[in-house]
Amino acid sequence: METWPFWLAGLGIGAFVPLFALTTGKALGISSGYSEMCALTRPAGAERWKLWFALGLPLGGLLATLLRSGGVQLATSSTDMAQALRLDGAAQLVLLALAGGFIGYGARTAGGCTSGHSIVGLAQGAKSSLIATLGFMAGGFAATWIAVLLAGGLQ
Amino acid sequence: MKPVIFLGAGALFGFLLSQARATDFAAIHGMFRLTDLHLFGVIGVAVATAAAGLALLRRGPKTALSGEAISVKPKPVHKGIFAGGLVFGVGWALSGACPGTALAQLGEGKLYALATAAGILVGTWLRQRASAPAANPARSA
Repeated sequence: METWPFWLAGLGIGAFVPLFALTTGKALGISSGYSEMCALTRPAGAERWKLWFALGLPLGGLLATLLRSGGVQLATSSTDMAQALRLDGAAQLVLLALAGGFIGYGARTAGGCTSGHSIVGLAQGAKSSLIATLGFMAGGFAATWIAVLLAGGLQ
Repeated sequence: MKPVIFLGAGALFGFLLSQARATDFAAIHGMFRLTDLHLFGVIGVAVATAAAGLALLRRGPKTALSGEAISVKPKPVHKGIFAGGLVFGVGWALSGACPGTALAQLGEGKLYALATAAGILVGTWLRQRASAPAANPARSA
């Protein structure tokens, strides 16, 4: 098996949203699953499902990789990131942790992430999700081009 | 519903993210460089498909198979959405991951995503601590 063309992947992710709602009654959302991880010492509340959902994600990544040609290869650094941003080893891990901090802080400020806002929210035509998604894209474009210029310009 | 249902649903979604190459740094970097439009296509088709599915669902049952009421509502507009979005976008572009794909990457064998996921957890905690009500029992304990 190979990775899917955009239309098949889009159909799969898009169909997941109503099917998940039909099965569980709930709206897909992932960034708030990290809030549940922060709340592990408290008794389980109505949001505990988000923790289980988040813990399922690595299993899916593993399954997809096992089914693809090449299989699972453990990597402690990203060759793509090294090529694009000229960063390797410890510097890469520091940037990943920092970027992760931005993701968590930003998602909680915006009230959702690429799944809750950019897929489920946009699919409902929500104004809040349109504002959030424009922010995601603007931040992503700005950071990418600044990082590329800092890493030694366009190759 | 039982945790195993949500674990399975999470696994299915992680599988889809991986097959979509949403877990691939090069695909995300290429999207923002406008050299690889694949993920724009994925998001576009996903939004259109989800919109059609949710529209159908609104004409269907009010109750989910779990017995719960189906509750998929637009999130309210509040202050800071765009600013928070900008901060999120910077992290998305630099890490090549978002909250879901960082965890899916771990399963793919990309061990460096542990740094991303740990960062997301800390960022989430910091943001919640900043906005927590003054009377927080966890803090006074």
